[in-house]
Amino acid sequence: MSGEKKSFVIVGNCIAGVSAADTLRQYNQRDDVIVIGDEDVPAYSRCLITYYLAGDVEEAHLLSHSPDWYRHRNIKMLLNTKAQRVDPQKKEITVEANRRTKKIAYDQLLIATGASPIFFNAFPYDPEGIIGMRTYGDAKKLKSWAKKGKKALIIGAGFVGLKTAYGLSKRGVKTQVVELLPTVLGRMTDLEASNRIVNRLTSASKGSIEIKLNSSVVGVTKVGAKYRAAMSDGAEAEVDFIVASVGVRANTDLVQGTAIYGKGPIQVDERQKTAAQDVYAAGDVAQSQHIVSKGWIYNAIWPVAAAQGRVAAHNMLGMEKIFAGNLPMNSVDFFHLWITAIGDVQARDSIQCLKYETPAVYQKLLLKDNIPVGFMAIGNVDGAGVIRSMIEQKIPWDEAKKQPYAQLLPIVTQVQEKG
Amino acid sequence: MKAFYFKPELCDLCRKCEEACSNACKKYRSLPSSKALPHVRAFFSTKGPILRFCKQCEEPPCVDACIGESLQMGPGDFVIQDESRCIGCFMCNMVCPNAAMVPSYIHKKAFKCTKQCDFSDSAPPCVKSCDRGALTFEDVIDTTKKIRRKRMAEIPRK
Repeated sequence: MSGEKKSFVIVGNCIAGVSAADTLRQYNQRDDVIVIGDEDVPAYSRCLITYYLAGDVEEAHLLSHSPDWYRHRNIKMLLNTKAQRVDPQKKEITVEANRRTKKIAYDQLLIATGASPIFFNAFPYDPEGIIGMRTYGDAKKLKSWAKKGKKALIIGAGFVGLKTAYGLSKRGVKTQVVELLPTVLGRMTDLEASNRIVNRLTSASKGSIEIKLNSSVVGVTKVGAKYRAAMSDGAEAEVDFIVASVGVRANTDLVQGTAIYGKGPIQVDERQKTAAQDVYAAGDVAQSQHIVSKGWIYNAIWPVAAAQGRVAAHNMLGMEKIFAGNLPMNSVDFFHLWITAIGDVQARDSIQCLKYETPAVYQKLLLKDNIPVGFMAIGNVDGAGVIRSMIEQKIPWDEAKKQPYAQLLPIVTQVQEKG
Repeated sequence: MKAFYFKPELCDLCRKCEEACSNACKKYRSLPSSKALPHVRAFFSTKGPILRFCKQCEEPPCVDACIGESLQMGPGDFVIQDESRCIGCFMCNMVCPNAAMVPSYIHKKAFKCTKQCDFSDSAPPCVKSCDRGALTFEDVIDTTKKIRRKRMAEIPRK
């Protein structure tokens, strides 16, 4: 069989998929590499779509991978193509393009189909006015809707929700954000951090962003061209369009009913292998092991997707490579207020908490049995990676705080520990 | 492959390396020259002089973390940066174990050394400026990349 070409098939054309394809080509120029994407554009920087909406980056910047990128690497790209089924026994997938289905055989398969925004019955998907913010298409749509003087409702104050609110407000749209929790950015903040972010968003947008916490949308009715949303507290809002950003769900439809699918996102081991032979998964479609707790964690973030795609590709080639583990983290700015959060930042019992607070800066470090488990910084985020490395390596704080680069952080140099 | 090495016991915090870096890099950065930031940055701590610089990780977490595809693996195992693509999310700063990324809140960009200053035949300007030999540019002799990466992030024990 050595004369025959093998076929590496990658379903999903975002960062996990392209980083895998790139890695495959680094080591193997001979076999076929096929990337299947259901959108009409080649890979782009998905995280930048809110920046694109805000006008902070150009279209050309967003579209990071040109068709030439694929051509130069001899990677076959199928656009507007939806993978419908995986048959791990026959080692083939069924895809649909232009309303025609066909089968593609694989030797090694990577599933990197990502995730999709969640909608509920109270606010069902409506292409005319209730959408998510996930794709280039979504961003283009929102951009065309976001005319000065319009009103928008955003459901969910996560990273995407708030960044979308920022983008819309820069286009002159009056935006209300409704969040079920008492804090914005969910588990990545505490009350103090949340207050600082809310203050910045409302003041810097001159009131065009309004954030409503402890509240949810219980129903939406269409009134003419507008949408009327009813909130759990009895309030109502009449808006031109709605963005649902309550979270994402892994796109696992194509593996339902096969051994690959267990429960929720596709479970993978440290080599990104699924339960089926020669089938790998990476990025937002997969869940893997938490680097500290060792439990399953669904961590749909860009850095993880990029790294997992690379790890999967190595293993598809038969090269040993391990993804060390997952750690929730994120970093973003809202009107020049930066926030970086890593690991577990909400205090619980048996967690020791160090804080550094000034009007401009807020840093918080959480220790469990004297080992850093979470870190959050607002205003001054410099050197956050030093703490991330400590969390990953489980270095006791007494030792860790003596590390040279730790001396950059006010939480290390300015905070006197009690006792 | 060559990499930068720093010996804190020889550093007297004269900051000539910062100045040399800033001067050399000004030409390659599209920012106003008065605002050019050095990519090697010395600072004093209670633990003695400390120098921030890119340790050239073998599998750089900053490249994976860069949502704007601004940081890329360049030739000679060195991470290069297209600063026009940096949108200032500071994800790179969040993952760099060596604090090599320098977040600039004014520019809304993070900066790192991209070795754009040409020194093909000799040492980079920052190293040349160091008359005490605290900052050097030497061949990497470590046998495996993993050990190297680990050592780079290691805590010095005194």
